[in-house]
Amino acid sequence: MNDHGPSVEQDEGSVVARAQDGDLAAFEHLVMAYQDRLFRLAYRMLNNRTDAEDIVQETLTTSWRSLPMLADVDAFSGWLYRLATNKCLDLLRKRSTHAETITDPEELRFTAESGSLQDSSGADPADRAEWSAQQGELTEVLNTLPPVQRACWLLREIHGRSYAEISDTLKISPTTVRGTLARARQKIAEGMSQWR
Amino acid sequence: MALDDTPRLGCGRSIDQIWAGIDQPPSGHEEHCQHCRTARTQLQQLKKATHALAESDQQDPQLKPRPGITNTIMDIARAEVRRGQKLLVRTTGYGTIEISEQALSTVIRRAATAIPGIHSRRCRIDILPGTNDSSKNTLTANPGTDPELIINLRVAASADINIPHTIAALRREIRNVLPAGIGIDAGTINITVEDLYDV
Repeated sequence: MNDHGPSVEQDEGSVVARAQDGDLAAFEHLVMAYQDRLFRLAYRMLNNRTDAEDIVQETLTTSWRSLPMLADVDAFSGWLYRLATNKCLDLLRKRSTHAETITDPEELRFTAESGSLQDSSGADPADRAEWSAQQGELTEVLNTLPPVQRACWLLREIHGRSYAEISDTLKISPTTVRGTLARARQKIAEGMSQWR
Repeated sequence: MALDDTPRLGCGRSIDQIWAGIDQPPSGHEEHCQHCRTARTQLQQLKKATHALAESDQQDPQLKPRPGITNTIMDIARAEVRRGQKLLVRTTGYGTIEISEQALSTVIRRAATAIPGIHSRRCRIDILPGTNDSSKNTLTANPGTDPELIINLRVAASADINIPHTIAALRREIRNVLPAGIGIDAGTINITVEDLYDV
């Protein structure tokens, strides 16, 4: 039997609840809603496209299996970010254990390109170049941060997650989240200015 | 971990303090303190670059997973689909008719879509077996009873509806749809409004 898919105006809590009951159309709606943002988080954490895609796939399939156990439908988004972040941190731990280095030439090409803005505003080429260079600096410095600091910064500054949620995700106190975030900001800001 | 975990500048101000006031004009101290002035300039640039990165990452067509990933995830979900318990609808002389809880929930949720202001959520269904068994071709004085569904449906309701009136309409809709679709009366329909959503 075909499930009745959620309409676009459905509140997320109802879509999550239906997916909890095994409604495939509701789950697909959630996959579509989250796969891109989870990819962006994982890519900025791991700097590797294939690994980031694996994280997206693993996070969303794990969520399908564990959804019935989720007590609060409104916690879905935070729960998904927690799953993805911890999978990224686990992978980075494994990488450091195996002293792996990234990446293949194709990946390097992609990394170089993805740091620059896809600008369609027709802004002044000089401004655009400066803007693009600034983002390149930011992502370069970001990659030098320890993984937990990087996760903290990305979750808060790029994905807008709350301090309480980041605290749950990284299993550190909200005070430590604030401290970690402040250190990350300081390091990135100093790192970027050293480029000049 | 120390309570004050925030990095500080040479003048004793925390990075958090500078960050919090970054959109405001500099305070008297910040205006004259070299540490604060440098930090403010660096953090202002960072804020601008952060905002630009968030925007461009969102729009960057390269920063998306491969197009086939949705299908891969959904194939796994389909292979592991949860049908819930099987409910015995009827026993006939030729065998039994069962329906999965998930299929029955779909019929109920579809009925709910006909009612404006209601979003169906989780649905639990039990069935009380009837005493009517058409496999026994006997005529008795007591005709027996049909099986009866006990439906527990949770919903979110729009904040601007009349809840008792709308829930009554939802109950009527489910009562109409079930006998037509699966040939069994709805029995008890417990509906819980567990959340309100804004339109």
